[in-house]
Amino acid sequence: MAGQSTSQTPSSSSSSTSSVAVIYFAILGIVTVAAGVADLLVTASGSEFAYGILEVPNDLFRGGWGGLIMLFAGLLYLSGVRNMDDIHQFAKVTMGSILIWILSGCDIFARITESIPSSSEETGPWFNTLPGFIEAYAPPYAPAVLLLPFSLVVLYYISKRASGETRGGNSS
Amino acid sequence: MKLSPEERWDLIDRISRETVSFGAYRHTLKDAIGELTIKPMTGIPIAIAVMYGFWSVFGSFAGFFTDGFFVRLFDAYWLPWLQEVFPGQGRFLYTIMVDAGGIDSGEFVLSSNCLESFGVLTSGLFVAIGIVLPAILIFYLTLALLEDIGYMPRLAVLIDTMLHKIGLHGYAIVPTILSLGCNVPGVAATRILETKKQRFIMMTLLAIFIPCGAQIGIMQDVVPDLMGWILLYLIIGYFIFGYILNKVIPGMAPEFLIDVPPYRRPMLSNIGKKVFGRVKGFFVVAIPFVMLGCAIVGVLYQFGVIRFLGDLLAPIFVGWFGVPAETAGPLIAAFLRKDLAVAQLSVIEMTKYQMITSVVLVSIYFPCVATFAMMLKEGWKELIGALAVLAVTVFAYGGLIHLIGILLGVA
Repeated sequence: MAGQSTSQTPSSSSSSTSSVAVIYFAILGIVTVAAGVADLLVTASGSEFAYGILEVPNDLFRGGWGGLIMLFAGLLYLSGVRNMDDIHQFAKVTMGSILIWILSGCDIFARITESIPSSSEETGPWFNTLPGFIEAYAPPYAPAVLLLPFSLVVLYYISKRASGETRGGNSS
Repeated sequence: MKLSPEERWDLIDRISRETVSFGAYRHTLKDAIGELTIKPMTGIPIAIAVMYGFWSVFGSFAGFFTDGFFVRLFDAYWLPWLQEVFPGQGRFLYTIMVDAGGIDSGEFVLSSNCLESFGVLTSGLFVAIGIVLPAILIFYLTLALLEDIGYMPRLAVLIDTMLHKIGLHGYAIVPTILSLGCNVPGVAATRILETKKQRFIMMTLLAIFIPCGAQIGIMQDVVPDLMGWILLYLIIGYFIFGYILNKVIPGMAPEFLIDVPPYRRPMLSNIGKKVFGRVKGFFVVAIPFVMLGCAIVGVLYQFGVIRFLGDLLAPIFVGWFGVPAETAGPLIAAFLRKDLAVAQLSVIEMTKYQMITSVVLVSIYFPCVATFAMMLKEGWKELIGALAVLAVTVFAYGGLIHLIGILLGVA
């Protein structure tokens, strides 16, 4: 990385909010780890698991590979929540969220690409009907998609930190 | 005026004091994330996630165009129309250009889809436009994004230790990943490696173990549930044979220095230029070979050459590799077109494990004609050496996969 580093001096405002953030991301980390383990267990057992709007994928790609990433995301959250005012620790929390964005982004992109063409393979309409298109976005969803809104909270803390740094930079 | 070294340093100090302002460097979030992606403990999980995203987007995008639109366009409209309007059904030119068909109760039967018709204007065009184009487009788009964001140098640093075990270094990730699109630019990119030994190892591994975009596209289309196992076998083979080559081949494998840039927002115009240039290059170099290969395979089938060779070599395929005798024909044809060979294999009845073995064999069999020509350009000695390694690898690795299957009770 460019240049030499100096440790961050947390501003008083970021310290006051960090306890809420620590609790929030610790809980999110535990849930994410649990979801990752569930993905891996369901894939390993070859069974299916669905509950309400949640469906745990059981194929080797989404359940196995994806489950492993989910587990990593949870571990990054848990490892980053300790001393989150430090930029390197906060980066781990951000990275945990980025991993969830990759997983959920891929799931959503797959739904979009499946929802547009018609399911008929022979001659007929090229595009899906409107009810068919909307139905493609109906639940159940994979754990990564359900965790997506909760992972977006990190953006608030990123912007808060950025504005804090700007203020700190101006005043110094 | 002549200055002593001490006076020069004093002068430099004075000038820098007057012109340079110093301040504490504050690590930004971007810097910290950049560091995380290089450290093995955090970098490897992130690399696993990036590769997941890469393949997931690849599969969804290619599937969207191929299964969503091109399969229907070619199978439901293009093939029936050509079968009807092209003159001389069942004759030589018809079978080469449109549909090789089949014989049922002494009558010529038309094929029902473009993957089984094996005509230049049907299978050839469908593979080139319907399967390879979407696959190549999304592959190069994602690759350009990763390059321009600044992730690729980090991946090179991350994988450096592992690649040193096979006599290469982190930069070898560039030809390896490029080859997943097309082996031709991959072989050209081996020039970034410093020594002859490294270039030879890299070129040989690319030709044997890295399937190109055309092949990946068709595997994704016809055997999607087996893709993971096939790629796993190829990755394991890449490292096993790389390790052996590193031990056997004399020469140096030097360290490398890389300047890791900060993460940047990619510029749309740069991405566009890169993708356009690469896709254009692929089409100019590879598409003529797809069409020509399709025609030659058709001619060889018509003259019974492939059937003859298939019958001759069937005992080896059945006994040594453990695949059905019917796969001998497609495996021979794979010398010319690996993608079509995979398509041919997909319609043969066999077990899952035999299918995995057959497709892995097609991948490691022989470089496609375009790659062959490119390797020849790099030097005929290297080409002969690579082919000798390839022959040994096919027999050793093919037999090993069969043995693993026997031990697991699935072969």
